[in-house]
Amino acid sequence: MAEKQKTYVADIERTLYDIRNEDHSVYKSESGLTEDIIRDISARKHDPKWMLDFRLKSLEIYNSLALPTWGPDLSELNMNDIVTYVQPDAKMTGNWAEVPTDIKDTFDRLGIPDAEQKSLAGVGAQYDSEVVYHSLQQNMADQGVIYTDMETAIREHEDIVKEYFMTLVPPKDHKFAALHGAVWSGGSFVYVPAGVHVDIPLQSYFRLNAAGAGQFEHTLIIVEPGASLHFIEGCSAPKYNVTNLHAGCVELFVKEGARLRYSTIENWSRNMMNLNTKRALVAKDGIMEWVSGSFGSHVSCLYPCTVLHGENARCEFTGVTFAAKGQDLDTGASVIHAAPHTSANINTRTISKDGGKATYRSAVKVTKNAPFAKCSVNCESLMLDNKSRSDTLPTMDVEGDEADIGHEAKIGRISDEAIFYLTSRGIEEKEARAMIVRGFVEPIAKELPLEYAVEMNNLVNIELEGTMG
Amino acid sequence: MSEQLLAIHDLHAGVEGKEILKGLNLNIGKGEVHVILGPNGSGKSTLMNVIMGHPKYEVTGGSLTFEGEDLTQLPTYERARRGLFLSFQTPEEIPGITLGTMIRTSMQAVTGKKVKLLPFRKELKERLEELKMKPEYAERYLNVGFSGGEKKRAEILQLLMLNPKLALLDETDSGLDVDAVQIVSEGVAKFHNENNSCIIITHNTRILEKLKVDRVHVLMQGRIVEEGGPELVEQINAHGFTHIAADAAEK
Amino acid sequence: MATATVNEAKNLFSEIPMRTWRWLGVNELPMPEQVTGELQQTALQVAAGKEDEVVYVNRAGGAQNLTIDIAAGAKLHLVNVQLAPTDAAYTSRIHVHVAADATFSYTVVEAGARHTASELTVELAGDASRADVWGLYFGDGQQKIDLNYIIRQQGRHTDANMQVRGALRGQSEKTFRGTLDFLEGTKGSVGRENEEVTLLSDGVRNRSVPIMLSHEDDVDGHHAVSIGKMDEAKLFYLMSRGLDLAEAQRLVVEASFNPVLDRIADTELRAEIDAYLQGRLGK
Repeated sequence: MAEKQKTYVADIERTLYDIRNEDHSVYKSESGLTEDIIRDISARKHDPKWMLDFRLKSLEIYNSLALPTWGPDLSELNMNDIVTYVQPDAKMTGNWAEVPTDIKDTFDRLGIPDAEQKSLAGVGAQYDSEVVYHSLQQNMADQGVIYTDMETAIREHEDIVKEYFMTLVPPKDHKFAALHGAVWSGGSFVYVPAGVHVDIPLQSYFRLNAAGAGQFEHTLIIVEPGASLHFIEGCSAPKYNVTNLHAGCVELFVKEGARLRYSTIENWSRNMMNLNTKRALVAKDGIMEWVSGSFGSHVSCLYPCTVLHGENARCEFTGVTFAAKGQDLDTGASVIHAAPHTSANINTRTISKDGGKATYRSAVKVTKNAPFAKCSVNCESLMLDNKSRSDTLPTMDVEGDEADIGHEAKIGRISDEAIFYLTSRGIEEKEARAMIVRGFVEPIAKELPLEYAVEMNNLVNIELEGTMG
Repeated sequence: MSEQLLAIHDLHAGVEGKEILKGLNLNIGKGEVHVILGPNGSGKSTLMNVIMGHPKYEVTGGSLTFEGEDLTQLPTYERARRGLFLSFQTPEEIPGITLGTMIRTSMQAVTGKKVKLLPFRKELKERLEELKMKPEYAERYLNVGFSGGEKKRAEILQLLMLNPKLALLDETDSGLDVDAVQIVSEGVAKFHNENNSCIIITHNTRILEKLKVDRVHVLMQGRIVEEGGPELVEQINAHGFTHIAADAAEK
Repeated sequence: MATATVNEAKNLFSEIPMRTWRWLGVNELPMPEQVTGELQQTALQVAAGKEDEVVYVNRAGGAQNLTIDIAAGAKLHLVNVQLAPTDAAYTSRIHVHVAADATFSYTVVEAGARHTASELTVELAGDASRADVWGLYFGDGQQKIDLNYIIRQQGRHTDANMQVRGALRGQSEKTFRGTLDFLEGTKGSVGRENEEVTLLSDGVRNRSVPIMLSHEDDVDGHHAVSIGKMDEAKLFYLMSRGLDLAEAQRLVVEASFNPVLDRIADTELRAEIDAYLQGRLGK
């Protein structure tokens, strides 16, 4: 069975992501960021009053905050050039036949409807600023599972949204969280009632087609006590010569004894500034698992944060980052131990080549309220040439004496001895290198859903072919 | 003498401009078992690496042929495809590649044919059993976290699965306990037949008990200084290398 | 992107080579308040091919500023011991330039002072230059220890080793920042960094920032940090031999310090440090 599923991404090539559609949007906000633009977006989205107020307050905060004083250079991002809202010429539907042909074709090429048939319990598809398709298997809906776009969620489940929305990532967190609060549009809302196990993954796919635009989708997931969910997030965009911006926000609430796995393969085009914020709050005995693959974008700042808030809460973070020419990918994770006996494992691999810059940045914080916290971090970096850069910058901050924290990091290149070993078994050097690189990311790949693991291996192959001649 | 397999004549080789092999001669016939003895630093591992084509080592003179073909111009993987196999003294740990995948990839590379998964699995399982390795080892990353003895057994497993014409065994028995040496030497004995040959570097006689040794060579300071039958092993075990060195000097 | 004005306003003593999140508070080391006494400004040179050992012992606090130049093929072992009274403040800034085939060996004990700010920068400029840095810190009471050690590897085949052992007690706070910076062209270089911290009371705060920067693929870099309580099994073993908890703890901490202290050849100085640490640990 597993063998069959991989077909829809098996022959993937990067060019596939680059097929652009003509811009048929029905409405685009003016570029830049003003109160009028915010009011206009809010009116078009039929926001309730509290949401308009929230947006305006966020704008105020945005204007009051400075750019971060660390991390990649963001100077090329000019908000005055970014179109923050692009409404596609499509209404949200639960039927692919009703999705306009060019948009449907895009998602077909990305294999979304096919995967929906084969291996997913529900699918959401966002095109530019709005979600154009959403579905959920009936038996899941019957058990009270809600999976819909955020706009519908505000209309139909306003109380829940209001209770959680941007409480975990408040707009004052940083400049791009504030930006998100002001202009957010689209995204997914998932609610899993207590005790319900969503055995097959849900997947939301975010596609940004318009040039010079921003995508600001909001993902809000609530997994009630004892429930479980695997959520997959995919994203891509065609390449343009102008800067595009992604400042999404993901808020995950994992309740007592619940379990959430959040998998991402990010493959934005190389003109994208990806300034995404993801955070999870984990209650007693809850388990949060992150699987994160960062391959695309020009600049990325991505450090999913897990707050272990209840006793015995656990976090597993598995990440891989592949920085090639022209990319500055600053990725990592942070974990805050805020309750006794909480534990975390962070395991990452980064590869840099062809002048690419990969940075691993992390924070492990053990508060006074977290005796017997345990955390182990392992990060390895592979450099494929000396034009590239690889930096590792972890911080551990421990209060109290009942903690057990270990960190290990390695930087290096493919060892000549390993290549000799493989070639002495009859394998050509080029293939030996590819095997070693695939082996290097294998501990991460095996955590991905099968389709994505295949996609990742293909991406690694495509990227590697560029380096070796 | 039987049909010639490997012929080394007046071989000079070294690393980073430093000569280690200084005019070495060695001939291996089909079906033969040769043992190379020598003190540490005499060039035994260098010889193995040079035969297998380690890029770090440079051949500066002499000839090295396998079935009449010049090896020195062939990349390592081509030598493997011609039927050479090196059992490493310290096998590499390669995370992310399982032992099973490694062996299957290697079999396909060496034979140039697709190796069908099911028969492969069956054979691998049998070989693992013969070497008293748990079947899970096929799914573990290559040598990662293996003990010294497990690494050596994994080398012999590859030897049995790849079935080369010439096996180079570089201290395959070193650092092993009595039981492990027994298992490894049984594995080598199982591999060996009249159609293939072995060159064995060892400090130990136990690995030789199950094999009929044809010829013993003593390698010192980059040259073969003494040759003889199996009795030479006993002689060196009893008296060490010093008196051979003295004899060689006299000659 | 950090501006000088911000730093000056904060009265900055030192900062890490690459900034990170501000909320972690590890980017800058502030200047300790009320550093009194004279600034000891010293320049040391070790001539080509020479071997030297220099020992500094600070028992009063104040500021130390050292520039060191180790010429080709030379060797310097610098022993720097700080046993200042716990009401004093102390700063130390050391800059070392290491030429080809030269070795900088450093043994440092940071045990005294209310607030310690220490910066060490080693430039492994020449081919086959080496840095072997062994540090020890101990904090208790209200002590604050701020360390920023950086080894920049520039020559080919350089070798950097940074080994730091520490123990914290009372309400002490410590931040150790250790950077291995592999610059472009430092082919064939290796770098190792390791910090082991033992936490002895629940009022302590430990921050560890092991940084590794690389602009060169032909390197082998490794860093590791372990932070935790004393090994229960070791304590149990010692207590089963009749030691009480405090004695057992003292012994285990001393054992972790010994690889650093064993490098000090001067037996009198070694005895003084042992007595000082025992006095503090025995409290």
